[in-house]
Parts: sequence; C-alpha cells; structure tokens
Amino acid sequence: MNKPMQAVIRGLVAVSLVAGGASVAMAHHSAAIFDASQTKVITGTVKKFDYSNPHTWVWLDVTNDQGQVETWGVEGMSPNFLNRRGWTRTTLKPGDKLSVTVRPMKDGQKAGMWVSGKRPDGEVLLMNGEIKDKE
Amino acid sequence: MPHHRHIYRFAAAALLIGPLAFAQDAPKKYKAPTVADWTAVGKLPDFTGVWEIPMGGGRAGAGRGAAPAGVPAGRGRGPAPQPQLTPEYAAKAKEMAAAATRAEDNQTANCLPPGLPAIMGQPYPVEVLMTPGLVTVVIEAYTQVRHIHTDGRALPDDPDPSFNGTSVGHWDGDTLVVESVGFESVPRGINFPYSDKMKITERFHLSDPDTLNIETTITDPLALTQPYSLGNRVFKRHRAWTIAEYVCEENNRNFVDPSGKAGINLANPTASPK
Repeated sequence: MNKPMQAVIRGLVAVSLVAGGASVAMAHHSAAIFDASQTKVITGTVKKFDYSNPHTWVWLDVTNDQGQVETWGVEGMSPNFLNRRGWTRTTLKPGDKLSVTVRPMKDGQKAGMWVSGKRPDGEVLLMNGEIKDKE
Repeated sequence: MPHHRHIYRFAAAALLIGPLAFAQDAPKKYKAPTVADWTAVGKLPDFTGVWEIPMGGGRAGAGRGAAPAGVPAGRGRGPAPQPQLTPEYAAKAKEMAAAATRAEDNQTANCLPPGLPAIMGQPYPVEVLMTPGLVTVVIEAYTQVRHIHTDGRALPDDPDPSFNGTSVGHWDGDTLVVESVGFESVPRGINFPYSDKMKITERFHLSDPDTLNIETTITDPLALTQPYSLGNRVFKRHRAWTIAEYVCEENNRNFVDPSGKAGINLANPTASPK
C-alpha cells in the first residue's frame, strides 16, 4: 500500500478502541458518517429488510411533503447480533408500516443509523435490546 | 572393550546429538494424539465453548458500539495503563498526529478485520477449542481463527507479519499465557505506533466455570519503555449459542477511501439477495 494510506491507517487514533482500556471495540466500523447530535423520524412502508452482514438494511418507501415516494435506507446491526436479541429475518417484511428514529447522515443522503422503530400498534423495536437466550 | 560396543556408544551419542542439533529448525510435525494426550487435555481448565463479552444490553438510544466492559487493570501496579513510548516512537506518534487530517474511519469499513488485540474485543462471540498441543480460538467477527500452539514450540524468530500474529501458549498453573508476535501495520485498536518487534501477551484465566478473563499486555523493545496494559476483558459463557457465519463483504455498503473519508453506498437498494 502507498505511504499516504499507511499514514492514514497508522494515524488512526483509537477509532476502534474506546478510551485506553480493554473495552469492547466498535462493531465493524465507526459511526462518523452519521450525525450523533440529532435524530430524525422517518415513517413509511418497508420495501425490503436486508438481513445480511456486516449491517442489516431496512429500506423504506417514504412519501415526502410533495407527495412523492422516496426510498430511505436505515443501517442496522448485524443479523448475528440481532438473532440473539429476539429478531429474525422476517421481523420486518415488505409492506410493514414503520416509523424509524434514525441518526441521519451528515451529508444529507436519504439514510440513517437505526435508533429505534415503532409499528402502528405501538410495538417498539430496538436493535440493542436484551439478549433473549441468556444462557 | 569389544569393538561393537564402541560402535553402539558412538551410535547412541549420534542419536542424541542429531535431533538436538536440529531441534530449533525442524518444524513441529502433527502427531496423532494418543488417549493419554486427550486425557491430559481433559485435566486442563475448561476454556472450551462459546463466550462473549457482555455489552450491558437493553440500552435505549444508539444501537451500535458498547460501553466499556471488563475491569481495567489496577493503576500504580504492574504494567502502565498508558503507553510509555521511547523517544523515537514518541516522535513518530507526534508525526502521526500532525500528518494530514484524522481519518473518519478505518479499514474495517472496507471489511478488513482489525487484527489483534481488537479482534478479541468485538461484540460477537468467540469459541475456544482445546486439543492436544493446541488451543484454537474461533472468532465470529469477520470469521477469524487463531491457533495457539501449546506443544512447547518456541515463538518464531522471524515470522511473516499478519493480522493476528503467530501465537504460542504455555500453562502457568491454571492460567494460559499466550504470546503473539509478527504483526503487520493495521489498526488493531492500538493507539500508538508500534514496531515489528511488538509482542502481545494474553493471560487466559477462569474466575469461575462460566467467566473467562483475558488480560492483555503489550511489550515492544523499540517503541515502549515498559509493558503497556490493555486491562482485562471479561467473557461470559453461553451454553446455548453456536458461532454463526460472518462474511463481512456480502452486503457491505460502507467504505473509507484512501484519504480517510468515510461514506455509504446507497445504490441499488434492495439488491442484496438476503
């Protein structure tokens, strides 16, 4: 690899390590592309739920203020992680109505990081919930 | 003494010298384990099974990352809690900090694994296997496998650099002391410049049958003036879990470019077959 890339890689101070201790490293990569200072709620219909690594993706058809349908992508946790916390690959299905709270992308693209989801009946969906099978 | 006895003595001596002369160079060859070998494994502390560092689940809010888990190493006792760099490497660290802008992300965005020791701190389980002369750690994150040779072989003098290093282990009472060398330059979760002489030492110890502690310490004769402790990671046993597949690149929409700029690829939504 070339020198500038080496400098970038070596110069990464603790992106994957929290503080100086032997803590749990970030899953897969940093959240720098998402705006951690605010959340946004997007409401729409599930187009597809991609249940694959490294991140699940919830694609939502959202009707905007002009009445046009836009597709939003919500980045979620790994299916490995979700399977152990009460999720399955059919927890979200095409056609499901959903309101998702996300950390939006800093660059304004129609995507965000999943914070929580809510169905019309009030059911709350968290991706970092309690481990279901503690044993 | 009769002539043939001299030959026997010479032959016996040659048999002794021959293997010893080449012991350092001859690679250890796999030997079919005997029942006695398996019985010996059965007497070791039981590290086998699936383990994961608890994340303190049920947190509301951000669904990624984790609060620090495990107990930090005691301060003022043993290795330093912060890396103590030699003058040459302190200068390198300053250079690194000054050079260009800080990258937004690292190679894990491009699905490359982080390397040791960060690979042992992921929010996914690991599985430990114990067989004669070998402790194997199967790591779910990025599907990584570490082989820790416990057959008495020495650390290699000149290993090919790798993500997870080359590892040997020996028993110190009920503690498995694992030493690893031969590290290429990848993020690793290490926040200081290290040399190719770096060694990572891990002490695996059960505090109870369902709690595995791994204390990690780094030494580097060129970069560090004293050992640097990363503290203790506490793993809990999960009897009902199995290690799942993790092919990072199967639907990776994240990337970091050579300048360190991070991004997301939103093209072709719903293209993933899973």
